[in-house]
Amino acid sequence: MLEIKNLHASVDGQEILTGLNLTIKPGEVHAIMGPNGSGKSTLSQVLAGNDAYEVTAGSITYQGKDLLEMATEERAREGVFLAFQYPVEIPGVSNLQFMKTAINNIRLHRGLDEINTGDFMKLAKAKIQEVNLDSAFLKRGVNEGFSGGEKKRNEIMQMLMLEPTLAILDETDSGLDIDALKVVADGVNALRSPDKSVVMITHYQRLLDYIVPDFVHVLAKGQIIKSGGKELALELEDKGYAWLGIEEATA
Amino acid sequence: MSSLNTIDFGVDASPKLQAALKNFSAEKQAKLLEWHIPTRKTEAWKYSSKRLGMSSSDVGNLEANKTTASNDPTAKVYTEAYSLDCNTLIISNGKLEQKLPLIEGLSIQSFADLNDNQSKDVASGAIASSDNLMFADLNAAFLQNGVFIELADNQHIDKPLKIVFHHIGESNSFPRVFIKLGKNSSMTIVEESSTHSGLSATDIISKQNAAILNSVTDIHVSANAKLTFLKMNLDDDACRHIASTGVALMRDARIHTYCLSLGNQLNRHDLLVKMMEAGAECDLNGICVTTDKQHVDCHTCIEHIAPNCTSNESYRCIADKKSQIVFNGRIHIHKDAQKTLGSMSNKNLLLSSEAEIDSKPELEIYADDVKCGHGTTIGQLDEAELYYLKTRGINHEQAKLMLTLGFVLEIVRAAPVIEIAEYWEQTLASILSYKI
Repeated sequence: MLEIKNLHASVDGQEILTGLNLTIKPGEVHAIMGPNGSGKSTLSQVLAGNDAYEVTAGSITYQGKDLLEMATEERAREGVFLAFQYPVEIPGVSNLQFMKTAINNIRLHRGLDEINTGDFMKLAKAKIQEVNLDSAFLKRGVNEGFSGGEKKRNEIMQMLMLEPTLAILDETDSGLDIDALKVVADGVNALRSPDKSVVMITHYQRLLDYIVPDFVHVLAKGQIIKSGGKELALELEDKGYAWLGIEEATA
Repeated sequence: MSSLNTIDFGVDASPKLQAALKNFSAEKQAKLLEWHIPTRKTEAWKYSSKRLGMSSSDVGNLEANKTTASNDPTAKVYTEAYSLDCNTLIISNGKLEQKLPLIEGLSIQSFADLNDNQSKDVASGAIASSDNLMFADLNAAFLQNGVFIELADNQHIDKPLKIVFHHIGESNSFPRVFIKLGKNSSMTIVEESSTHSGLSATDIISKQNAAILNSVTDIHVSANAKLTFLKMNLDDDACRHIASTGVALMRDARIHTYCLSLGNQLNRHDLLVKMMEAGAECDLNGICVTTDKQHVDCHTCIEHIAPNCTSNESYRCIADKKSQIVFNGRIHIHKDAQKTLGSMSNKNLLLSSEAEIDSKPELEIYADDVKCGHGTTIGQLDEAELYYLKTRGINHEQAKLMLTLGFVLEIVRAAPVIEIAEYWEQTLASILSYKI
C-alpha cells in the first residue's frame, strides 16, 4: 500500500523529517505517536501533497506509484485522504457543493459518470447521520463557524463519503470529548477493510481504546525510533517518552 | 389615483410640471451654472473621472447629445433576464409607456401631477437636499419628468415592484424616481438598469462613447416602515451608467439594500443614507465584480444625524484581469447622533496582478458616545483554502473558482428575493466562468 523510504522533508528551510522509514500493508491500521515537534504533522502534510513542505531526499511509493510525483488532487483521486488537524473554514462554499464536486472529480478519475443529485443527497444524509451532525450542517459553509468537535466530525463525514484507500488522521482525536471521540472511532472502524489502510497520528493513547491498531510507532526528531504492537501505546501512556531517551519539547 | 396610464417624459414639460419642480430646480439650475466635469482632482471622482470620457464642451450639449443608434432591434424592447413574479414599471429612454400596474395602496404618478406636499417631498428628498452628488445635480438640471411612487400608511405589499431603467443608447437619459413609504408600511423594490449602447466592439476600440444613463432614485421611508431594496445593472460593456440612490429614514424606519454592481465602461453608484430620526436602521450589502478592462465605482455614505440609529454595511469586491473597482465607504456621525451603532466591512479579492481595487473607508465622528467600527481587507485567494479543496480531489482551476464565487455568495444568498439571488449566482458564475 505505502512504502516510505529514508524520507527527508523540510519546511522554511528547516529539516523536520530526517530519514523516516515506514511500510504499510493493505488492511492495516498504524498509529504514530510522538512528542510535539517530532514531525508527525509534517509527515501527514507531505503525504497529502502540501507544497509548503519540501521533500529533500527519500521516496514514497503508494500502490506501486511514485506518490511524490502526483499533484495534491491526483493523490486524493487515487484514494489518499487526510483528515486535517485544523480543518480550514471556507465561507460561501457549502458542504454539499464541496462534497459533490469532490465526489465527481474522483468518479471522473475512475471513469464513472457524475453522481446523480438524488443518490448524492441520500449518501450525504446517511453519512452526516453517521457522524451525529444535524443535516443542516450540509448546507452551511465548509466548517464555517463549526466548533472544534464539529469540524473533526465533518472531516470524518468527508472520509466516509469519499471512501479513501489510505486515510491519514492527523490528531483527529485531539480536543474531543468522549462522545465525539466515539464518533471518530466508529467512522474509522466502519472504513476498516482488507483493502484499506489507516494511519492515525495521535497524542493520546485514549483513541486506541476505540480503534485497535495493528502497529504503533514512535516518531522522534523526524525518524521512527521504535515500533511495536498496541501494547507499546500503553507503555507510552504509562512511562512517557523519557524511557526512550526522548526529551519532550514544550509546545 | 392610478387611473393614469402613461407618464409623458417628453421635452414639452407641462406648466404644472414646471411649477412642481420650481423650488427644486431653481437651486439646482443655479448650481449647474457652476457645474464642471469632474477631474482627477475631484476627490469623489479621483479614480473614475477618466472613465467618464467627457470634456468641458460636453456640458452644454448633454441633453442634445446623440450617439450611434442601436442596430439591434431586440434591444428596443425590454426583455426580462430572469423570471420573477412582480409588478413592473419600465422607464424606457426616459418614457414610461406601458400600462401602470394597479396595486392596492400604491400610487404611481407623474411629477407633473403632484400636489404641493408631494412636490415638497421631492424637493426635500435625501438626494435633492444633498450638495455632494454631482451627477444627481445634473439629473435634476436636465430632468424632464419623474415618477412618484407612494405606498400608503400601514400597507404591506408582498409582490416586489420592479423598476427598470431601459436605455437604448441614442441619447443621454436622466430618469428620476421618488419613492415614499407611508408609516408602518413595507414593500420590496427591485431596481434594474438595462442598457444597450448600440456600440460595436470597433466603436469601443475607436473610443466612441455611448450615451450616458444618469439615474436618480430618491427614497423616503416614513416612521416604522421597512423597505427592501435590490439593485442591479444589466448594462452592456460600452455603457456609462451613473446612478444615485438616496434614502431618508424617519423614526424606527428600516432599509435593507442589496446592490450588484457589474463592470462596464463606467458603472458608478452613489448610495446616500440619512438617518433622520431616532431608531432608524440600515443594512447595506453590495457586490462588485469586474473583469477585462471594466470599471466599477461605489461610493456609499451613511449620515447618522439622529441618535440611537444602527447601520451595518458589507461590500465584497472581486476584480479580475485588467479591471478596476473603487469602493469609498463613508460614515458620518453628527454631533447629536449619540448611541450610534455603526459597522462597515469591505473585503476585496484581486484575481490578477493587473487588477486594481481602491478601497477607502472614511469615518467621521463628532458624537462622543458611539460604537463604530470598520474593516477593510484586500487579498488574493487563500492558499490554505485552495490546498484543502485540492486534498479532496478538486482541481486547481475548479478550486479557485469555487473560492472566488464563495467570496461573494454569502451576500448573494442573503438577498431576500430567491429568484434574484439565484439569477445573481448564475450571472456571477458565468462572469467568473465557473460551471458547477
